[in-house]
Amino acid sequence: MKQDFSFDETDLQIVAELRKNGRATNQQVAERLGLTATTVSSRIRRMEDADQLRVVAVSDFAAHGFDVLMQLAIEVDSRPASEVAHELAQFPEVFAVHIVTGRYDIDALIVLKDFEDMSHFLLDRLGSVRGIRSVSPSIAVDILRYQFDVAPIEGRA
Amino acid sequence: MANVVLDELDRQLIDLLASDARVSNRKIATKLGVTEGTVRGRIKRLQQDKLISFTAITGLQMARKSQLAFIYVQAEVERTREVARQLSEMAPINAVLVTMGRFNILAMTLFEELDELVEVASDKILAIPGVHHVETSIAVKTVKYNARVAKITEASAMDGNGDEDE
Repeated sequence: MKQDFSFDETDLQIVAELRKNGRATNQQVAERLGLTATTVSSRIRRMEDADQLRVVAVSDFAAHGFDVLMQLAIEVDSRPASEVAHELAQFPEVFAVHIVTGRYDIDALIVLKDFEDMSHFLLDRLGSVRGIRSVSPSIAVDILRYQFDVAPIEGRA
Repeated sequence: MANVVLDELDRQLIDLLASDARVSNRKIATKLGVTEGTVRGRIKRLQQDKLISFTAITGLQMARKSQLAFIYVQAEVERTREVARQLSEMAPINAVLVTMGRFNILAMTLFEELDELVEVASDKILAIPGVHHVETSIAVKTVKYNARVAKITEASAMDGNGDEDE
């Protein structure tokens, strides 16, 4: 991770405007903040180039046909947890994997198209990963809030 | 929620906007070989159907709160919905899922100092009537996180989409 990225109040104001309307033009952002469009444009580019900002469309699980969201608390045995986590991260159904403190070692969030996909995921996917001692699933039956505007940002290809 | 029908153009549009939402309608139109009006109309429909929403994601160095914790809540079944609603209104909470499993509610929160997590989990949440037990688990390492797929709720749909004046 690149360290010592510095930013100021103006950068934060631009980010706040983009959170309100990610598709606002540089000119619109500039007018709201009393800046020039050039300043807005170059500051956005600087934050993007440092992998500290992405203005993106977030799509709903439903837009991808995912109807089932599950959280898996996983216990690992006889193998480093990060190795298991990296293997899990390869599966397309897995959209988040974290190494966590507490009773379990890994927390994974997975999405499936329907309940029929569950046996495939459990038997073929999880079944192929060595070192999983137990999986404790929770099925999401309702999502009241889901809003993350901070995330590790991968570099642009 | 079920029976969402998207065609190839919708999917291409979502892919393009997922990597950079600041591309102009004109550029998108040229790239996909359709008119600007089509692009504008499609984006509007996807937003109205809460299938996409636009946001600015900041990296960990720019974020004040960058530590993730999972908070598992055991609540009385009859009060689960009410407890979940109260959790979803707490400012530091980023996600609230009602679940079937070891716990009835899974909440996620971003924090900076451990004190903040303790305050939310052990003070505020535990004090809600109907909450029996709270467990927290801190994410010490993110191996994968796709911020571009999420559940678009009322609150997030209202955010970041103020481009009605186009």
